[in-house]
Amino acid sequence: MSSPLSWWRNPWRRPWILGVVTVGYLAWSLLPVLVAVLFSFNAGRSRVTWQGFSMRWYYGDPLRSVWHDSSLHTALTHTLWLGVLATAITIPLGVAMALGLDRWRGRVPAGANLAVLVSFVLPEILMAVSLLFVATVLVTPLQLGTSGQVIGLVTYQLSYPVVIVRARLLTIGRDYEEAAVDLGASPFGAVWRVLLKMLFPAIFASAVLVFADVIDDFIIVRYLSGDSSTEPVSVKVYNTARAAPTPALNALTTLLLVASLVAVTVGFLAYRWFTRGEKGATLDVFAGEA
Amino acid sequence: MADSEPRRGVGHRWLWPTLALPGTIWLLVIFVVPLYVVLAILFGGVDPILRQPVPVWDPRSWDFTQFDFVMGRIFGSDAYFRPALIRTVLYVAAASFLCLLIAYPVAYFTARFAGRWKGVLLAALIAPFWISYMMRMLAWVNLLQTNGLVNKTLSAGGLFDVHVAWLQGHGTTVVLGLVYGYVPYMILPLFAGLDRAPVSMLEAARDLGASRWETFRRVTWPLSRSAVVVSLLLTTLPMLGDYFTNDLLSGSPSTSMIGNLINNSVLTPGQTGQAGAFVLIILVVSVLPMFFYVRSTRYGDEVAS
Amino acid sequence: MGASTGPASDRARRLQRRTLLRAGLSALAVAPALSACRTRTHDYGTLRIPAPDHPVRWGLSKRYPVIDSGLKPKAGSTLRIYNYADYLSPRVMKDFEAQWGVSIHLSTFNDADEALTKIASESLGFDLYFPSYDSVGKLIQADFLRPLNPDYLPNTANLWHSLRDPWYDRGSRYTIPYTIYSTGIGWRSDLIDGDPSTLANPYDAFWDTQYRDNMAILDDWHTAMAMVLQRNGIDDINTTSSKDLALVRAQLLDLRRTMNPQVTIRMYTDMPAGQYGLAQFWSGDAINMPYYLPKNVDPGVLNFWFPPDGKGEVDNDLCVCLGQGSNPVAAHFFMNAILDDKIAGQNFGYTGYQPPLKQFTPSTLVDQGYLPENLSTAVVQQGDFKKGFPLLELPVTADGEYHQIWQEFKSGG
Repeated sequence: MSSPLSWWRNPWRRPWILGVVTVGYLAWSLLPVLVAVLFSFNAGRSRVTWQGFSMRWYYGDPLRSVWHDSSLHTALTHTLWLGVLATAITIPLGVAMALGLDRWRGRVPAGANLAVLVSFVLPEILMAVSLLFVATVLVTPLQLGTSGQVIGLVTYQLSYPVVIVRARLLTIGRDYEEAAVDLGASPFGAVWRVLLKMLFPAIFASAVLVFADVIDDFIIVRYLSGDSSTEPVSVKVYNTARAAPTPALNALTTLLLVASLVAVTVGFLAYRWFTRGEKGATLDVFAGEA
Repeated sequence: MADSEPRRGVGHRWLWPTLALPGTIWLLVIFVVPLYVVLAILFGGVDPILRQPVPVWDPRSWDFTQFDFVMGRIFGSDAYFRPALIRTVLYVAAASFLCLLIAYPVAYFTARFAGRWKGVLLAALIAPFWISYMMRMLAWVNLLQTNGLVNKTLSAGGLFDVHVAWLQGHGTTVVLGLVYGYVPYMILPLFAGLDRAPVSMLEAARDLGASRWETFRRVTWPLSRSAVVVSLLLTTLPMLGDYFTNDLLSGSPSTSMIGNLINNSVLTPGQTGQAGAFVLIILVVSVLPMFFYVRSTRYGDEVAS
Repeated sequence: MGASTGPASDRARRLQRRTLLRAGLSALAVAPALSACRTRTHDYGTLRIPAPDHPVRWGLSKRYPVIDSGLKPKAGSTLRIYNYADYLSPRVMKDFEAQWGVSIHLSTFNDADEALTKIASESLGFDLYFPSYDSVGKLIQADFLRPLNPDYLPNTANLWHSLRDPWYDRGSRYTIPYTIYSTGIGWRSDLIDGDPSTLANPYDAFWDTQYRDNMAILDDWHTAMAMVLQRNGIDDINTTSSKDLALVRAQLLDLRRTMNPQVTIRMYTDMPAGQYGLAQFWSGDAINMPYYLPKNVDPGVLNFWFPPDGKGEVDNDLCVCLGQGSNPVAAHFFMNAILDDKIAGQNFGYTGYQPPLKQFTPSTLVDQGYLPENLSTAVVQQGDFKKGFPLLELPVTADGEYHQIWQEFKSGG
């Protein structure tokens, strides 16, 4: 009855190999990070040998802890600041663009559509190098430092809200908006009151995505960084990992991890709240760039 | 006509372009202008003492020396850039393939069999997406050190004497680093694609007597093909420009990729223009798959609607 | 293969290109971008290259005046420093901040090329930069530096006499010496078999395949290539001979192929961590190694070799005040501070790079516990500068050739 052969022939058996692969993958992907987090609490200077628990690298060490080494906490605040700035510019720009491109027919929007897709998949180093050249040979508002970084990040991230919001627009359709206009709303009012409200989950999801992606960015922010005050965590990690890293670096990245987890949790809860009572609203939006 | 008239009124005619224009102009300006600057530097001159690039804006006086130099080093007899380009293709292909080999079963399992664990599993799969890439690489740099945890684990508590120099410029370490770094970006779109595939079709195939493998080959795989294409593009193209994974995990010239060529030349006096040439190469190489991507998304849109 | 014809024909082409370029540049002088300040081409005729037998007294800057005497750093202002990583003690910076109410921003670069490019963009406003004398000529002739006001620098009296009126900057108008170092070979006797210092030609160790995958060379084009020249007994490590350069190229490519070296500047942490056992080393990094060594490893395994006859690479790094910075007064104060005996000692304790101050002699350094006995070879003495070879600035064309060989090496075959 339950011989191996009949088990094998049962088309509805659970594919345990896939389960093992999945669990193995999760272990492989998360364990190294957990080890890195663990070593941020190392009492010694080694990032390889455990020497006891301490908060030394967070605030204990008077010179090299994240709290006391201004270059480290500057990196953290600059990262978050870039995340906020870039998200605040990208989202309105992208949502408006998504709405416009969805409804506006013609040659121009078709070209713009293509540009969005291009910026979606183009290797980042391309944009980073070309913007670096702009910053070094031209006198424009785009300068090495925060301005250049934000402009580069917004350009690189713009496609996220456009793609996500348009996907959502596709499922909403035009009925609500047309009903609003029929009921006497101005076209702008229909967009503002009806459409935008319905798009909120998608907007929120893209904001969280953009924020998370920005604070993880490396190539653009590195090439466009100016002096040390505009070097975010990723650049700091890269520079220091090539020199003499201490567990303070692990502490720094752990703090960034906490910050982004907080952002994600808030985003997720807000998303759930906005979509409450709506069936079919799943996490897909977060994964839904495809 | 009467009922469609108000909706197509004056309001709509300016509303949509107004909404779309700021973003469109932004993209246009920040694509086209920098690209022209790249050309002006690539085909420009070099300051005679500091050897910093001197852009030449007028195409009529462009100088092709730097471009010729790079092309000569790729296609000529003295082709010392060529191995790095070939290596880039090999590494990226191997890493993409391995990514797919890992991501597909994981995404498939999560979409189809995870049951009530789906939410938790999905959250865990998304987790690396929120952890800084640099932190994940740094974690591996620590683990892979000669006296690091990997070697300690392999030596099984002193049983064997393991001194593998993982970080000493090995292609496999770099490829594995790329796989580790980029797999999450592949799992998510794959999951989205597989999750959307109708279960009823699979059940029908099974009911009709198809074996597990045949169901996969004839139903699941064709249904997920566009998701595979998209997820491959989303990982492969960024990998093309990656140089930091290589820098952190190898630091040896013997694993240089095109990203390293760019990174080495872009801030080196006298070689800045060459970085522009490499950037153009990447641009051209990405444009082809991009059209493929555009086609596949159109296809995806049709399927979705 | 094309090894011998390639570079030669390239050179011809480049020469032609250069004349074309000059013509092109002057023709294009009307273009708006070229009138921008960073493409000023006035006295670019020939690059003056200082050398020990060809000392140079630089003229005063046309752009940046000497600051007035008797000023104080503005409290609350920011001093922007541009330096290698781990090349300035955090304690020294903290103390300076506390003493003068100035906040310090330290930015770091990986190599001098990168630094020069970023400085040349003139948009970052760095106050202090720490070059080697091989780029001082360029920096001065491109008019990036502010001449110093000696009134702020009484601590120059602590310097070695030989560096108080150096050949690369007669009258010390633009520079103060920061550190001195030699370049040699470092190894861990527990990680490699044999002792490179006992070889007839110790540099051969870098081509000894028993050390394959177990070695590193410095990611600094001139330093690495100078090592190849010295291996071949060519004492002119600033050679412009195409025969010498072809030799360097061949041997570098051979090194890469047969040895798979790391090319890096972090040997001072990699070697203590046990990543490799043999590396080209700056003496300061060698001195710094014990600090990064895990507790369970005996510092006695660390070794540093420099040619005992003194015929090796000896250099000093400098500190200069960049004109683009907005805080020249604090910059002068900081320069004076790092020449203070006590502060320089603190800094030495952190970086491992020796300040050229009279107070620090090899015996005092070992006695005061700055370094273990087995690394005393890494101490630089005044006499070393008489016998050693400095890395000089190169003529522009030769500089391009060196860079091209290095690029080929780094591109990986």
